[in-house]
Amino acid sequence: MAVTSSARSGPRQVRRSRLVPLWAMVLGALVLALIGTSPEYAGTDSYIVGLIGKFLCFAIFALAIDLIWGFTGILSLGQAVYFGIGAYFVALSMKLNYTLVNATRYGSNIPDFMEWNGLTEVPAFMTPLLSTPVAVACALLIPTLLAFIFGVITFKRHIYGVYCAVITLAESLILQDFIIEYQAYTGGFNGITDYGNLRGAPFLWVIVAVTVVCFVGARMLTHSRIGTVLKSIRDNDVRAEFMGYNVANYRIFVFCISAFMSALAGAMYAAWVGIVSFLDTGPMLSVEAVIWTAVGGRATIIGPFIGAFLIRGLEFMLSGSWFAEYWQIFMGALFIAVVLWIPDGIVGTIGAWVRKRQAGTRAQIREDADRLAHDRQRDWEPAGAAKPGEERV
Amino acid sequence: MALLEVKGLTTEVSGFRILDNLDFSVDENELRVLLGPNGAGKTTLISLITGQFKPTAGTIHFNGQDITGWAPDQIFKAGISRKFQVPNMYETLSVYDNVMISLQGPRKVFQYMFSGVTAAENERIWEILEFVELASKVNEPADTLSHGERQWLELGMLVASNPKLLLLDEPTTGMTDTGKRRTADLIQRIAKNHTVLLIEHDMHLVRQLAKKVTVMHQGQLLAEGPLADVVANELVKAVYLGKGGRR
Repeated sequence: MAVTSSARSGPRQVRRSRLVPLWAMVLGALVLALIGTSPEYAGTDSYIVGLIGKFLCFAIFALAIDLIWGFTGILSLGQAVYFGIGAYFVALSMKLNYTLVNATRYGSNIPDFMEWNGLTEVPAFMTPLLSTPVAVACALLIPTLLAFIFGVITFKRHIYGVYCAVITLAESLILQDFIIEYQAYTGGFNGITDYGNLRGAPFLWVIVAVTVVCFVGARMLTHSRIGTVLKSIRDNDVRAEFMGYNVANYRIFVFCISAFMSALAGAMYAAWVGIVSFLDTGPMLSVEAVIWTAVGGRATIIGPFIGAFLIRGLEFMLSGSWFAEYWQIFMGALFIAVVLWIPDGIVGTIGAWVRKRQAGTRAQIREDADRLAHDRQRDWEPAGAAKPGEERV
Repeated sequence: MALLEVKGLTTEVSGFRILDNLDFSVDENELRVLLGPNGAGKTTLISLITGQFKPTAGTIHFNGQDITGWAPDQIFKAGISRKFQVPNMYETLSVYDNVMISLQGPRKVFQYMFSGVTAAENERIWEILEFVELASKVNEPADTLSHGERQWLELGMLVASNPKLLLLDEPTTGMTDTGKRRTADLIQRIAKNHTVLLIEHDMHLVRQLAKKVTVMHQGQLLAEGPLADVVANELVKAVYLGKGGRR
């Protein structure tokens, strides 16, 4: 419709933050400098560098959870399924290749867990995994496909919220049972171990590069129009539906992206640490990652990174002390505290504070809040009643 | 031919008939007011038209298409936008973004990949924000607006989606007299270029806006016609003022 515009006030532009903000570049450079100048870095197998690679994988995983939970409002307690499948494919492939060169104790060239379970050769359906590209493709695409199927059967039926969280939890438990049950192919309870690893300089830079790509990609996604739609679905899915958005399709889309990122993190994790077990697909890992995201800051891109590094770092530092025994209790208490007192997490709370400070002095902020309360009250006043500040004789 | 045509619409919830064989139509470029006491089925009618619920029987035709049983997003694409009784928007998004994602345009996931706001779209958003007098609050999240401003923002969002038919469910709920007047003014300006179906209880407002009025009662059509005729209608008086009104 034609709306005749009245007097224009100011330029018709809105504030938009930059794709890669300055502070992110500074922070990234700082981390890189720390790695680069660390005396530990000289050796390719140093413990600290090992931790950093591991933490980066966890941070990408937390970012994947943030995309669906923080930005779209889907709480999944089974995102470790996709992390774990990615990890298992890579671990299986590395193990198969490793045993070709390094024979087991009994002299055969198949993975030890197959040997224990009476297999004499690698089953035919597993042989394609000997090729690294096939293994990587499987590790990334199969979880994404699974996520797509999961999305279609849940979101298309309007299942979300708590029900979705419970289903994802069940999904995780099913996968764990599956891995334990088919131990001839998965290593069962023991997981897959002793297949070498890629810990060290070249692969660390791969992880760093993937992290940067994930960070920028997530930032692009959430700052684009599609990101705004995702946030609108989080805020009010009914309104979005009545505005013509097929909410289920958007949910499926972001769920697939998240699964892909989780799988990517899992695949790199398996190659980096050199051991995977059924615990890496379980609900505990998912819940922990949800806590990292909550502590760091939901609906922010840097929050999951900070949360993962902070909590994982703390866990590492306290692991030698008497406190390690109570770590799980501490995690639970921390989650409750964050939900109660800083629901926006560390980054969200600091960000809100900075924005308020930019908007004006403390007095001005209070004044604005007062005016808002006043407006609200006036709007709800019954028609004809005295307005606040209005004298009636 | 009528833009919206409802025929024999019936809906039941656990045996209770909310709409009972309702026939109803709205012509193009009309501003129609829907009146009726509480429980007459006005909001239910809107929910059925927009696909929130499925009717038990009957058909809904819009713009020559049978839209009975379509999903809400498909009905939106056919050209119907709805305003809810309680302001219903995206609370944490800014006022600007609220209007931006309501703009008429593609809705499919992959059409939206990494696409930005074009200059023309930006202009349009500002036009709408000036229209609903929220241009000074573009960057503020919607949940910091006052109740009246939220009602106007939702009106602006509907205008942005540029529908053929706007369904407004009590857009002045909880407003002061001044707010109501401003809203009425906005609705009148919107009605110049759109077909509007309005549910409203405030008779001052109805007098100001309506040319043609439909009165519903217990899920059925009670009366229809110019406001003056409807107000003089004995049946309507009986329903609104109780049976005593007849004597």
